[in-house]
Amino acid sequence: MRMELKQGSFLWYLYLDKIYCLLSLRNVKALVEYFHILDAHRKDTLNDVLFYHFLHHVTNLKSRQIKIVFDMLDWMCVGEIGFDQFYVLVCILLSHQNHLEEQFMYRHSRPVFDLLDVDGELNIDASNFYMYRFLFSIKKQELRELFRDFDITGDRRLNYKEFKLYTIFSTDKSGDKQKTVQEEEEKQKEKETEKEKEKEKEKVKEKEEEKEKLMSMFMKKKLQTNVSQKNVLEKLRFRSGEHD
Amino acid sequence: MEEEKKPFKPRGAWPSAVAPGSPPSPPRLPRSPPVCGPQGPPKPSERRSSSAGRASLRSGDIRNLWSTATLLQPQGNVSLAEICENFDDEGRDVGRIRRQKSQTFSMKEKLTFTPQELEEQALLDLELRGSSSIQGLLEKGAEDINPEAEKCSSESLINLSKHIPHRAYWTEQQNRLPLPLMELMENEALEILTKALKSYRSQIGKNHFLTKELQRYIEGLKKRQSKRLQCPS
Repeated sequence: MRMELKQGSFLWYLYLDKIYCLLSLRNVKALVEYFHILDAHRKDTLNDVLFYHFLHHVTNLKSRQIKIVFDMLDWMCVGEIGFDQFYVLVCILLSHQNHLEEQFMYRHSRPVFDLLDVDGELNIDASNFYMYRFLFSIKKQELRELFRDFDITGDRRLNYKEFKLYTIFSTDKSGDKQKTVQEEEEKQKEKETEKEKEKEKEKVKEKEEEKEKLMSMFMKKKLQTNVSQKNVLEKLRFRSGEHD
Repeated sequence: MEEEKKPFKPRGAWPSAVAPGSPPSPPRLPRSPPVCGPQGPPKPSERRSSSAGRASLRSGDIRNLWSTATLLQPQGNVSLAEICENFDDEGRDVGRIRRQKSQTFSMKEKLTFTPQELEEQALLDLELRGSSSIQGLLEKGAEDINPEAEKCSSESLINLSKHIPHRAYWTEQQNRLPLPLMELMENEALEILTKALKSYRSQIGKNHFLTKELQRYIEGLKKRQSKRLQCPS
């Protein structure tokens, strides 16, 4: 099931820049206020319970996934999430919502790598990447291909350079996909416009045909009336001739 | 996906890759969150939420426009100093101004500010004294006005009435968040915190200090909301 933001929630109204995958200053200001409203205990942090209910309310993530996200963000293991981590999470959620996952990973490859490097060994294990793949919409098959194509060292782990290569490649690929999608959309639009034009032409033709039919019917009737008038006149003349 | 029950492993205790004696390295995020500069509004086709926002409520337009618009420049011909002067001299409004301010800034006052933020807040307070006192004058009614100061207040009210239609504009210009956005945030936060309170009660009990603290906080938030609803903008 694809992760989605709840429609109409506060985060849903925030705007993520499509190039840098960050919020504007104005949006961050609003997010700070929102964070402080949630910070019920006045510690500038959210504990695990508040975080759980927040994420459960604004997304369709399951409890297990929420706990995974909390453990990922609580990189200092203090049991609380500060605003920095909260901001990262919001950017991830918004990039997911706007189908900018590849762009986000490319632009923020270092922080994302550090987040996925759960063990702190400066490389990402396949199992860890698999655990967090729902945040970046990476399918199982794609993950297998990723490790197959970019694990240059062959240790079944991705170091930072390998990960960076992957992000560059995936953004190019997503860019190509978007181009093809746009081209297809344009083609479809062109087809639709052509169809509409053809329909209009057909309508015009039909109207003209109807007009012609009407004209021909009118002419026929006119001829018939003329012929009948002639006959009447001839009859009248004949009768008048007889009387004479 | 299988449930993985790993033994607890504090993040701070980085294994062999880190040199001994060196502190653990958290993800390298900048101290202040990175933000984008001002940018133009997105194309209507790209903004997937704008049509849904417009379909719901009029306040949805403000929330959408606000989150995507660039920073506005103040264009009013009246300076804030002119509005402030009418109320600074009277003195008796200062207390009311402070109380009214506390309604809107009660959350901010409880936060621990840095010295720079305190200075900025003080500057904002001075600028906002005028606009908040507008609300105060409207709310207090005729009974509270002293006959001696009635003339002054009536004149100031006439001056104020010219600026009332622009109050929402000035509020926004003074770097406050728009009211519909605040309302959305508070409503959502209330729902989240109410559910969290239920979890607290079930997990740590009703008498735990965290449960009581959260309960008081929720009640405070509800009171603030009801006050705002009673005082029309």
